[in-house]
Amino acid sequence: MKYKIGIDVGGTFTDFLLCADGGSSEIFKVLSTPQDPSIGTMAGIAEMAGSKGLSVPVFLDRVSAIVHGTTVTTNAVLTMRGAKTGLITTPGVRDALAMRRGIREEQYNNRYRNVEPVVPRYLRRPVGGRLDYAGREIEGFNEDDLRQACRLLGQEGVEAIAICFMNSFANPAHEERAAALVAELLPQAYVSVSTRVVPSIRFYDRLSTTALNAFVGPILRRYLTSLLRKLDQARFGGILLIMQSNGGVISPQAAQDKAAATLLSGPAGGPVAGIAYGQALGQADLITVDMGGTSFDAALVKDGQPLVTTEGEIDRRRIALPMLNVVTIGAGGGSIGWIDEGGLLRMGPQSAGSLPGPACYGLGGELPTCTDADLVLGYLAPDYFAGGRMPLFVDQARRAIEEHVACPLGYTVEQAAAGMYRVINVNMAAAVREVSVKQGADPRDFPLVVAGGAGPNHACMIALELEIPLLLVPRESSIFCAAGMLMSDLEHDFVRSYPCLLKDLDLARFREIFAGMRGQGVDLLASEGIEEKRVRTVYSLDLRYLKQYHEVSVEVSAQEVTAGDIAAMAARFHPEHNRLFGYELSDTSTPVELINMRVKTVGVTDKPRLSQELYHGPDASAALKGSRQVYVPAAGAFQEVPVYDGARLRHGMRLAGPAMVEQVNTSTFITPEYRMVVDSFGTMTIYLPAIEERILGRNVP
Amino acid sequence: MSQVKIDKVLVSILQRRFKSITEEMSIALARTTRSPILCEAKDFVTGLYDAKGRMLEQCENLPILAFSLGPVCEYIIQYFGDDIHEGDVIFHNDVFSMGNQNNDVAAFKPIFWQGQLVAWAACKGHQADIGGAVRGGYNPEATEVWQEGLRIPPVKVYERGRLRKDVWDLIFANIRLDIVAEDMRAEIGSCVVGERGILKLIERYGLESFEAHKAHLFESTEKMMRAEIRGIPNGVYHGQSNCYYDGKNPGSVYTIRVAITVEDEEITFDYSATDAQTPGFVNGTYTSSASATLLTFLQMVNPAIPHNDGMVRPLKIVIPVGTILNAAYPAATTYGNHLCPNNADAIMRALAPAIPGRVTAEWNELLCSLTTGIDPRKKVPYVDIGFMGLKGGSGAILGEDGYDHIGMIDASGGVLDQDYEMFEQQTPHLLKRHEYWTDSAGAGRWRGGLGVITEFVIGGDDTQVVTFGDGDVEPALGAHGGGPGTLNQIWLQYPDGRKYVCTTKDLVRGVPQGTLYHQDAGGGGGYSDPHERPAAKVDREVRDEIISRQAAREQYGVALREDLSLDEEATARLRS
Repeated sequence: MKYKIGIDVGGTFTDFLLCADGGSSEIFKVLSTPQDPSIGTMAGIAEMAGSKGLSVPVFLDRVSAIVHGTTVTTNAVLTMRGAKTGLITTPGVRDALAMRRGIREEQYNNRYRNVEPVVPRYLRRPVGGRLDYAGREIEGFNEDDLRQACRLLGQEGVEAIAICFMNSFANPAHEERAAALVAELLPQAYVSVSTRVVPSIRFYDRLSTTALNAFVGPILRRYLTSLLRKLDQARFGGILLIMQSNGGVISPQAAQDKAAATLLSGPAGGPVAGIAYGQALGQADLITVDMGGTSFDAALVKDGQPLVTTEGEIDRRRIALPMLNVVTIGAGGGSIGWIDEGGLLRMGPQSAGSLPGPACYGLGGELPTCTDADLVLGYLAPDYFAGGRMPLFVDQARRAIEEHVACPLGYTVEQAAAGMYRVINVNMAAAVREVSVKQGADPRDFPLVVAGGAGPNHACMIALELEIPLLLVPRESSIFCAAGMLMSDLEHDFVRSYPCLLKDLDLARFREIFAGMRGQGVDLLASEGIEEKRVRTVYSLDLRYLKQYHEVSVEVSAQEVTAGDIAAMAARFHPEHNRLFGYELSDTSTPVELINMRVKTVGVTDKPRLSQELYHGPDASAALKGSRQVYVPAAGAFQEVPVYDGARLRHGMRLAGPAMVEQVNTSTFITPEYRMVVDSFGTMTIYLPAIEERILGRNVP
Repeated sequence: MSQVKIDKVLVSILQRRFKSITEEMSIALARTTRSPILCEAKDFVTGLYDAKGRMLEQCENLPILAFSLGPVCEYIIQYFGDDIHEGDVIFHNDVFSMGNQNNDVAAFKPIFWQGQLVAWAACKGHQADIGGAVRGGYNPEATEVWQEGLRIPPVKVYERGRLRKDVWDLIFANIRLDIVAEDMRAEIGSCVVGERGILKLIERYGLESFEAHKAHLFESTEKMMRAEIRGIPNGVYHGQSNCYYDGKNPGSVYTIRVAITVEDEEITFDYSATDAQTPGFVNGTYTSSASATLLTFLQMVNPAIPHNDGMVRPLKIVIPVGTILNAAYPAATTYGNHLCPNNADAIMRALAPAIPGRVTAEWNELLCSLTTGIDPRKKVPYVDIGFMGLKGGSGAILGEDGYDHIGMIDASGGVLDQDYEMFEQQTPHLLKRHEYWTDSAGAGRWRGGLGVITEFVIGGDDTQVVTFGDGDVEPALGAHGGGPGTLNQIWLQYPDGRKYVCTTKDLVRGVPQGTLYHQDAGGGGGYSDPHERPAAKVDREVRDEIISRQAAREQYGVALREDLSLDEEATARLRS
């Protein structure tokens, strides 16, 4: 038996999905060890080995691949504990990093602070030399400046150096010269060069990305070195792959070189897993939602592809590398309910976290949280939280809700809890709306794929709010991101800026840039063991109408690139602009402007097969384990609702809401508007009666 | 309506939905407009109003637009009376019927439910051109409105869903740039987004319930605002500030005087004692001035108060016609928005003694430039508003330093700088410097925000530089023992070595290629005694070259050794 392991290191738990060759899979969870996450990772590996009755080395010998998602870089930025970093840049512009183009996000809040730059001002050193807007040198590179800067930065003991010059996107010569000298003068330093990290136009975006890359590079290098050493000692002979923010995976070496590409990799597994489940079900369009303890992530998948943005941020700092477009809001099980000064009920964004946690944990939390409301309303069973390993205290939940929500509103505890449940669901629905509507997509056309421990209890209400007729709750929903990691391909993104009018394109140069980027990708993938014939290449252009400020990224085909068919490429732009923004100008003489050229090279990996089971017939009574009083929003009252054991649900079993389904790490509330059938993968397919024929036709043999 | 039982949770939900609808309207507009003032600087507002024109929610990307749609909506309702129909779209910019600036052109779309007018969706954005004598609309030489731009009193460009092509063409025949028509099309699109959102809500909850819960939302918001006002001691507070130079008469000074009366839960801002209007374009309109008052006051209260009609009910703003803040017809008024910093100073000076913990030291005043010309590389005209250069520092507040490089209080950090590389693509200029200005921040236990210095070399011939603003006479003052920020200035160094210092309302034509443009945007005022600022913090800022070693000694009483390490003994002596 050979295995693959997906590992998702989260804030509280590290999740593992162990997949065997045959397609069967098991879930493991251990507590995270934030001081050195590799300890938790190795502990989980030991637990998995133990469960198979094997020693760690024997077990690891049978593991062909470990796919690893890590928040090491994310946390380094959020806590400002990255490497001591120096910046080398063009004279006169070193403060762009701190200014962030002069924004204050909260305009009416005079106590709102700017974020601390990842490089303090005294370590931001100007070095002479200047390129013009087209990359032509108008002032030679000043080596003396660079030597002086390196002397100072060396004395200060910096571990990493970021290099970013004005207009380098059009000509990397000065940056390459600087990088070579830094390597010679400060050989120990991690060097981050803007034209290697993200050679696209827009100075602040490139500068911020390059500086973040330097700030987290040594941290990731240290962590991966330690992890690789431990795996090596345990005689792991398979491959280790690292999850990126773009939903793809890369080798540890590539991850170290472009550490910033992992900054928002945490939620990236969600959409990838959603795609895999959607594919199995023939569903190319979907929205993944993941509700955990403190946050709620929503992402859109269209035509089997996740949405990608190059306008991402981490803690208000720009990252211009492509990343999956995931909207995150402060809504989770720990979100606190409170009454504002106008007497209105609000939920979050403050969270009770895991300590003290919700009042019902009995760990000292006194404020009412979403979990407390869920418990009072019967969506959580006091004796079956975490499979019964953690008792919940209803009295403490009631007391917190009474004092902080019910009394001020003049409501009963139940009414107050129902209000909390409703408000947080509307907040989450707003996030789903944002991730869909902003892209010109109608959420009703997108089934919700539900993940996260708290997600399935809220999903039907979110879907109702948005009039979404179909929801999918996979068996692995509580460790969805870990599952997604095993379904990722190797991916490398490249970008070059080539600002010009599309009609004035120099075709030879255009093809050369594309070919160069593809060659880089093929080489990287070769080093990761992927043969060229398994490489898929995606070409795209960032285009806009002349004088617009935002580009639209459109995919173009290899044939169009080779043929230099400008008309065909422009023809792809107009309808996309119309779809996103409601109008196009193909009928006017407005020229189309090219800004960036992009290549994505994908090395297709072997994915674990989802195992399918035999049809058991529609009768779900074998899974029925009892009933309890549950608040049914449509009735505005508590009702006796049947409770099913998720572990005993089998392919084909059907039930109608209202119903509760309990699994070890999650529970699902199916509201009376919906019905449910288990598909052959064990996914709960929750649907409105209006589409029953279609759903059953697909899931019943 | 009284039969509807109020569901307090639904009130919360409506408020959340109104907010997300106006945000969706803003996203649509930012993404579809082409003028940088709109899509980059986000100089626009989107809003929803009820059938009577009362604000349901507003997403003002720039605070100066906080008050700018509601009064127009009421005016339009009155103007058209029963002649408002489904499918109508109404444009408006007229400053003498509640418009705030000629260039700010609004689109209003009435929303109908089963044949009944139930709400309005509206947006208003600063258009790149509005006709008149000068490209871009800023005409420091204007003395009356017709020299500034086209007046658009309420006019239907769509009637019952049909485009009135004749009216449309009349408007855009009087505007120089084609993109203005496109950007106005985008405004209409944004209104449609708002209309769809409101109709969905009514469809879901029913009109009766919608109306009742909306009324309850207004009440709850009003309660929040009243609670904030109750926190200000009763009394009449006076404040004043000066506006320097009207663009016509060198040395001229105009004074804004405000009397603020706080009576329990209501507050009145009375500008009756303010000086008369100027002969030039340095004049406010009621809407721009009242917006300035509102945004200044909103910074002193709980930022979480929803922006709807309930928020403004306990506020009264009195600005007599004929004053510099509300000029009489047919005065020129394009400068009006930029009287906001002066207006804010007057309010802050009045309220600082009453609520010292909630009022900042003074902010750097606006001084802005607009550079236009022909890009010799592409032979096309360009317009560049100097956003990166104009943003000085904000005033410090009890417990917090000012915000560096945030800019005028009427934007409060809502306007983005041009990206440097995009600036060099879209203008023929070469950027030499855009950096924090050492020692520009007012000293204080909490220092003011830093100003910036901007320099670029002009790359085309026959460039025109227009300036507008203030802040070259009086700096942003400190509060409670804090020091002042630095002054604003723009000068040009011609290739022949000649240096020309621009006035604060200038129009310089024929600036030759190779001229160096230099701009100082000053820092904000400090708060409380600088000697109380932790010496280690001062030391760090000296190493960062944000404060000079000399200023550390003279202003902060902090002595540093040659290697910039802290000399604690000498510091103690200086501070004793």
